[in-house]
Amino acid sequence: MDLALKDIRRHLGKFAATIIGVAMLLAIVLVMNGIYRGNIDDGIWLIENTATDLWVVERGRGGPFNESSRMPQDSYKSIAATPGVARASPLAIYTAQRDIGGSSQQFTLIGYDVFSGLGGPGRIVQGRAIAAPHYEMVADKKLGLRLGDIAPLGEEQYTVVGITGGAVDSAGNPLIYLSLADAQKVQFEQDKRALTAARAANLQRLERAGYSGEQAARLLPLLSTSTSSINAVLVTLAPGADRQAVARHISDWLYFNVYTTDEESDLLLKGRLAKISGVLGLFRALLVVVSIVIIALIIYVLTIEKIKSIATLKLIGAPNSLIVRLIMTQSLLLTLASFAVAYLLRDAIAPGFPRTLSFAAAETAVTFAVMLVGGVLASLVAIWHALRTPPQLALGG
Amino acid sequence: MPVVEAIGVSKTFGQGEQAVQALKPCTFSVEAGELVALLGPSGSGKSTLLLSLSLIQEPTAGRIVVNKQVLFDDGPTDIDIRAFRRKNIGFIFQQHNLIPFLTALENVALMLQINNVGRRESMRRASELLGYLEIGHRADSLPANLSGGEQQRVAIGRALANEPPLILADEPTAALDTERGIKVMALLKKIAQERRAAVITVTHDHRMIAGFDTVYHLDDGRMTREKQQQHKSFGTHESYPLTRRETTLPCPK
Repeated sequence: MDLALKDIRRHLGKFAATIIGVAMLLAIVLVMNGIYRGNIDDGIWLIENTATDLWVVERGRGGPFNESSRMPQDSYKSIAATPGVARASPLAIYTAQRDIGGSSQQFTLIGYDVFSGLGGPGRIVQGRAIAAPHYEMVADKKLGLRLGDIAPLGEEQYTVVGITGGAVDSAGNPLIYLSLADAQKVQFEQDKRALTAARAANLQRLERAGYSGEQAARLLPLLSTSTSSINAVLVTLAPGADRQAVARHISDWLYFNVYTTDEESDLLLKGRLAKISGVLGLFRALLVVVSIVIIALIIYVLTIEKIKSIATLKLIGAPNSLIVRLIMTQSLLLTLASFAVAYLLRDAIAPGFPRTLSFAAAETAVTFAVMLVGGVLASLVAIWHALRTPPQLALGG
Repeated sequence: MPVVEAIGVSKTFGQGEQAVQALKPCTFSVEAGELVALLGPSGSGKSTLLLSLSLIQEPTAGRIVVNKQVLFDDGPTDIDIRAFRRKNIGFIFQQHNLIPFLTALENVALMLQINNVGRRESMRRASELLGYLEIGHRADSLPANLSGGEQQRVAIGRALANEPPLILADEPTAALDTERGIKVMALLKKIAQERRAAVITVTHDHRMIAGFDTVYHLDDGRMTREKQQQHKSFGTHESYPLTRRETTLPCPK
């Protein structure tokens, strides 16, 4: 007679409620696993999905993701002329918060040379890449845009020609790809009235400095902000080129900082992502500990609730194996069923979760193993307690 | 050959100046088919004696023989006491102590299954037993849905399931009203007679004394035997006080 199953059958509602409660807790642990891994995956997604060998950024800067980097637009031409470089392509990166898709959303604009091909969208799930020099965009599906939608950005309107799936920046914000010129326009475009006011203020400053009206008007463009800078240059190497030698050449002769893809990833992982990964990792560890403690307490309480029955079993001569099986079966069923429900909950939560959740099978397996070991240890404590219970307890003292 | 022989069995709790002798040395025996009462006020040592006989609580000294097996001889013998209890002793408790998540039938069948009787056979025998105890119609009920008397019958069924030669009952009527208590005691008497089991019952319920074959009175750990002069039915108040006579008790030191 399987006493564990009989007990569960008689208290099915209570057992199911316990499983759901524990499962919700375990689901949080699993989701936290996903957040932790997703944070890292999101962080380096753009780097890993940009088909480039070298990232060239402003001298002395850790850009373009960890730190801002500004370079003259035509700098890519001198880089392209470096021995060992097959292609060099300008890239503009700009994080914006605008009304788009019917709500105010944060996103990152990627402006790239649509004809050189470097830096363009990788995971197009619908539609196509940008083919025209202006007024086309590829947007990530997280923004809620659909193919053919017209999205206003600044003064201009852009047609959505492609949708990506999972294209995000290091903060998990969705990406919008535009042609380089369009991205620069969105990035540097100023409000017309603000521009007029700034021009008038500059004119006044020049006139106060003693320039005539005509001289001031001629000098005015020199004071205006450049609208043609870029943030990085992407480089692919010619076949057989030495990556380190090319990087050193660009660094020494053109005075830029050069990072390989791995170094660029490292910058993010050891910089911006390190602290948040540490915090998420700590939360994850705490959640695992709390979950194990709660599972252990539940298993212990389940045993204590039956302690008089266990004493009776001992008194009537039931072998220890019957008592061990009763406790261990319930413990394993609780842990297994809770984890299975948590797994389903996790999969139900993931699609609607505001951040990318990445699940590594090995991490899930380790989490399961840790929970299982916790459950088994708790049941061993409960068994120890049960086996030490004096049979005379059944007699009520 | 008696089913139970207790010779000079005593129990002392604590040591030195703190020692309390809960059960003074006593000797008695119970034959097959005999219904014995251990009578006495609370704290007189009745339950201590009952627990000592089954070695649930080890006595301090003495010799206990149950069904020809020496369980204790001034110390525990090398017998597997839990396996021995499983096969040779049936227990009935004051609070019935049924397993709450098993039906009446399953509670009785459990006793058989832990004695390695197969599932189907155990269910058949348990069902028969519940019928014998006139509670077959409640076989599928959980203990919580049974009355006190019904629960006690199931508990008796569990105690009888393995047909043990000795049944120990700890205040089996304490949680029952008089009518149900009388029925339960009558049932125990029937079991003792029909199944030739030795039944030792702890009680402090004087209403039930009349129907016992032998009554042992415990007071402050000292045991005296009160032989019944005539058999009457349970609940016959006029039969008490009994003819009390000192037998060989208190036991020789």
